[in-house]
Amino acid sequence: MGTPNARVKGILFNIQQFSVHDGPGIRTIAFFKGCPLRCIWCSNPESQSATPELAYNPERCLTFDHCVRCLEICTPGAIHKNDDNRPRIDRRLCTQCLLCTDACPAKALWGYGETTSVAQVLEAVERDGVFYARSGGGLTLSGGEPMHQPAFAIALLEEARRHRINTAMETCGHCRTADLVSAAAHLNTLIYDLKIMDDSLHRQYTGVSNALILSNLKQVRQACPQLPVLVRTPIIPGINDNAEAIAAIVDFIAGMPRVRYEMLAYHRMGTPKYGYLGRTYEIAETALADGRMTQLKQMVHHRHPDLPLVQ
Amino acid sequence: MEPQTIDRCEVLSPQERRIQEDQLGRENAYLASRKRVSAILNSFQAMRPKIDIERALYFTRSMRETEGQPLILRWAKAMRRIAENITVYIDPHQLLAGRAGCPGRYGILYPELDGDFLGLAIEQLPKRVESPFNITDEDARLLIEEVAPYWKGKTFHEDLAVALPEETLRLTYHPENVLLSRYIVNETASFRSSLQWVHDFEKVVKRGFASIRDEARQRLEELDPFSPVNNMEKRPFLEAIIIDCEAIITWAHRHAELAAQMAAAESDPQRKAELEHIAEICRRVPEHPARNFQEAMQSQWFAQMWSRIEQKTGTVISNGRMDQYLYPFYKQDLDAGLIDEDQATEMLECMWVAMAQFIDLYISPNGSDFNEGYAHWEAVTIGGQTKDGRDATNDLTYLFLRSKQQFPLNYPDLCARIHARAPERYLWEVAETIKEGSGFPKLLNDEEIIPLHLAKGATFEEIYDYSGSGCAEVRMPNRDTYTSGCAYINFAAALEMALYNGRMKLYGDERIGLETGDPREFKTFDEFWNAYLTQQTNFLKHAFIQQHIIIRLRHRHFAFPLGSALHDLCMEHCLDLHTPQIPGGIDLGYFECIGYGTVIDSLSAIKRLVFEEKKLTMAQLIQAMEANFDGYEDVRHFLMNVPCYGNNTPYADEIGKAIDRAAVQFAHKYSRELGVHLDLRYVPFTSHVPFGRVVSATPNGRKAWSPLSDGSSASHGADNNGPTAILLSNFNTKNYDYRERAARLLNIKLSPKTVAGEEGTAKLVSFLRTFCDLKLWHIQFNIINRETLLAAQKDPEKYRGLIVRIAGYSAYFVDLSPELQDDLIRRTEHGTI
Ligand code: SF4
Ligand code: SF4
Repeated sequence: MGTPNARVKGILFNIQQFSVHDGPGIRTIAFFKGCPLRCIWCSNPESQSATPELAYNPERCLTFDHCVRCLEICTPGAIHKNDDNRPRIDRRLCTQCLLCTDACPAKALWGYGETTSVAQVLEAVERDGVFYARSGGGLTLSGGEPMHQPAFAIALLEEARRHRINTAMETCGHCRTADLVSAAAHLNTLIYDLKIMDDSLHRQYTGVSNALILSNLKQVRQACPQLPVLVRTPIIPGINDNAEAIAAIVDFIAGMPRVRYEMLAYHRMGTPKYGYLGRTYEIAETALADGRMTQLKQMVHHRHPDLPLVQ
Repeated sequence: MEPQTIDRCEVLSPQERRIQEDQLGRENAYLASRKRVSAILNSFQAMRPKIDIERALYFTRSMRETEGQPLILRWAKAMRRIAENITVYIDPHQLLAGRAGCPGRYGILYPELDGDFLGLAIEQLPKRVESPFNITDEDARLLIEEVAPYWKGKTFHEDLAVALPEETLRLTYHPENVLLSRYIVNETASFRSSLQWVHDFEKVVKRGFASIRDEARQRLEELDPFSPVNNMEKRPFLEAIIIDCEAIITWAHRHAELAAQMAAAESDPQRKAELEHIAEICRRVPEHPARNFQEAMQSQWFAQMWSRIEQKTGTVISNGRMDQYLYPFYKQDLDAGLIDEDQATEMLECMWVAMAQFIDLYISPNGSDFNEGYAHWEAVTIGGQTKDGRDATNDLTYLFLRSKQQFPLNYPDLCARIHARAPERYLWEVAETIKEGSGFPKLLNDEEIIPLHLAKGATFEEIYDYSGSGCAEVRMPNRDTYTSGCAYINFAAALEMALYNGRMKLYGDERIGLETGDPREFKTFDEFWNAYLTQQTNFLKHAFIQQHIIIRLRHRHFAFPLGSALHDLCMEHCLDLHTPQIPGGIDLGYFECIGYGTVIDSLSAIKRLVFEEKKLTMAQLIQAMEANFDGYEDVRHFLMNVPCYGNNTPYADEIGKAIDRAAVQFAHKYSRELGVHLDLRYVPFTSHVPFGRVVSATPNGRKAWSPLSDGSSASHGADNNGPTAILLSNFNTKNYDYRERAARLLNIKLSPKTVAGEEGTAKLVSFLRTFCDLKLWHIQFNIINRETLLAAQKDPEKYRGLIVRIAGYSAYFVDLSPELQDDLIRRTEHGTI
């Protein structure tokens, strides 16, 4: 069907309708699988690996009293009987074949990640099209990191624009500059994460240096000076929830044209997902101090009164 | 589990915030600034309603004396008897005079409707779970000894029960006890005298009843004295109009006398002046045209209260386009410096608190099941378009919205019309009001309603001027002429009969529907679909048979002199509004589909799991359902995880469209024979709960006897793609090529966080615009945290003021039965905007 772009395939782990927090208007978000960073606070752990992954929520399982379907279907023997009469998954033996997910009646087992074509994504996105027209909304690429599947992301953006869909992309910026610039050419809004300016801390908490991220932001700013950019920082307790850390970020972006800034308060919504993937969440116990967000916002406002701050 | 408290919610709606303040012992700032209405409010809030029997008593006594005369004349004479004898009241602090019964929250009785239930019901009323009532022993005795016996054998309900053919009866009532409904093809004509209705209130305030009476006198003089029709039909009609107009004037004058007496005895000079003013106004209206805002309000109030006394209109009489017909008075007083915004708001609030005290009492168990939480919907319509298709919003429109934003009452039911060119400010204020969280206003969509009614025969001028009426209906007060309640059809029961060869688990071996075969022998989904369709069509057949009888019987039991006096066509033809056919009228009836989502999801599950993926056999499915899924949790979960209605998925929506299509095609073919429009509607009131009580486990994993899906909303928990998906599923399942559709009621529940702040309002506005673009009929919102509902269920005392949206109306959460409370909690909350 359609143009060559429409046939390009990639892996998404979710298409979420009716989002209002990621770009203008009422939007649909395509979540890309795979990310080059490993932020310790990540709230979408299912996005990190580039391939489909098995997830398991024992609370949904009906117990072996009612059902043994997964046990029967798993040939590598990755599923065992746990003390609570439910499956325990031996992740070392699991081949991620996902056969058990289809067998499970209760959706206690499911897969994160499905191969999808650009045409399929757009078909799902356009089902909500009537809401975009009124709200100025559209499609947002998120993740994971869309630029981890650059060909798919760029084809999707180009095709979306051909369909006159408003586009936004959320990126961590750690990608090939050329990819980012060609994606940006098809964007109405770029959402760009800056987490920590101190490079050694950045390495410590995300696993990569921020050099490429910072230079990419400058590059894309130069290449597409008209493109509105929303720079975002997740405020993580004990890591960057201090004035100094945030000041460094806003100082970096303050002079850039068409840039807005937003701080996102740390939340623990992602914690259960670590469990589903058989992982543990390192910083699950921390929380932001009361009033910290307000203090930081005031500080940013004082320091750079001209920098538009998203509330 | 942690205890549920309101504090745990991230963002609270303004309503939730007020409740929290109240719990902390802080004064409600708004109420503190409104001394008069707060005082009235405190006098009755949280009081258990009482029954006032005067109306029933005087009505019955008069009817006993007038037997043999034309019905409309008898009705008018009964109204005269009431006007002369009923106790009149003026409440302390009130600016509006007139109530239909004793002080406090009260209900009145209509024994002409349910005289055959009365004896039984009176004993049970104080005890029942849904909406209990108090009655004194002396009054109960009068009812049981004097009122009820007169009506025995004379009610419409009894007449209808004997007229129903056997097969129809079997689907309607218990064959052995016709007082018990079957909730399959349920008739609704016998628990009210009329469908929802709106009077031409503009006529009331602008002309007054003296002018209508004089018109009738004039017409009487012009009658051909030798014509049998003039003598036997027109004369009694016109005489009845004259009597009824004079009755309401008499009633108003009695209030004038009372006000004057109270003024004479009043020591507080301010109140004394108010009472003198009330006396003057009651001498003037509704007899004559109103001259200012307060007179217009009083005139309208008398007319609507009189209407309540005269007739049990379904969902109580609606108020029409108040921001339109009151505007000239408001503007004139404002310009003349006689009134300011605050005073006008106070007048409106005086009306709301008076309305809130009247309870629409249902005697029959059937009626109260349908209308839980003391339901009434005196819909006040605002916004929309003028008769010539221009935007109609004005300053008063905004005053209504503001009065609704902060006033902690579930009355009136505010109904905002929206259209493609509705001003941004209007939608913005509508959105802000919705965000308050108490369910107001509901929205009606001109872009669906206007073209649809043009196709049904209205003129532009008439339909541009429509009013919201009842929970989701509309009326053209001088063109609409249909008042017969119609069938509520349990589509989920049709499905059950397709599964059990014409039988239902609740009724054992009794064959109620048609024998469509044992589904375990079906080879294809089409075979099952055809069996289902046969049952559905059979239900429709009997619904239409019922309606045929109802249309022809009702006018022998009910007359409506007031409604007729205010209707151009009734006056022109000298015909009572309940006459089966009035020349020039448009008869807009509708039958109800109950359990739409339940049936779609069930058919989707059967299609997918039994016939496509073959994960289950029909025998396994039936076995699991017969066990109510006990020991078959795995089967149940498979069933629940198929594509469901409400997610904007073509798989389920196509099934929904086919169900809808079969029904509208049936209506297209057969309503013409009945001489009326009998169209498909999806508006459940609270009836999806009792209708669910007769349906055993269904193939969507729903457990036996639990509520069905409500209106055109998704099954509980089945919609997980957000509210855009529900709107689109509604759009997808409508058959726009047919005109045989009526209202679809759509409930959306959002968490307050979703619409927080200015940005949230902006997004809600664009959501409403899209609703308008999609040509959906109706939408309403609950913006509330789930935690709040759970907390209120646990600790009702602390949440007495919590208002929630149910069907077409808002009610106090704590007034609802536990079943309906659970149902509300289960409605999916969309927190993802
Ligand atoms: S994904 Fe495949 S290998 Fe892994 S547990 Fe499931 S069935 Fe076994
Ligand atoms: S298939 Fe699903 S429900 Fe059944 S035992 Fe495995 S996890 Fe539990």
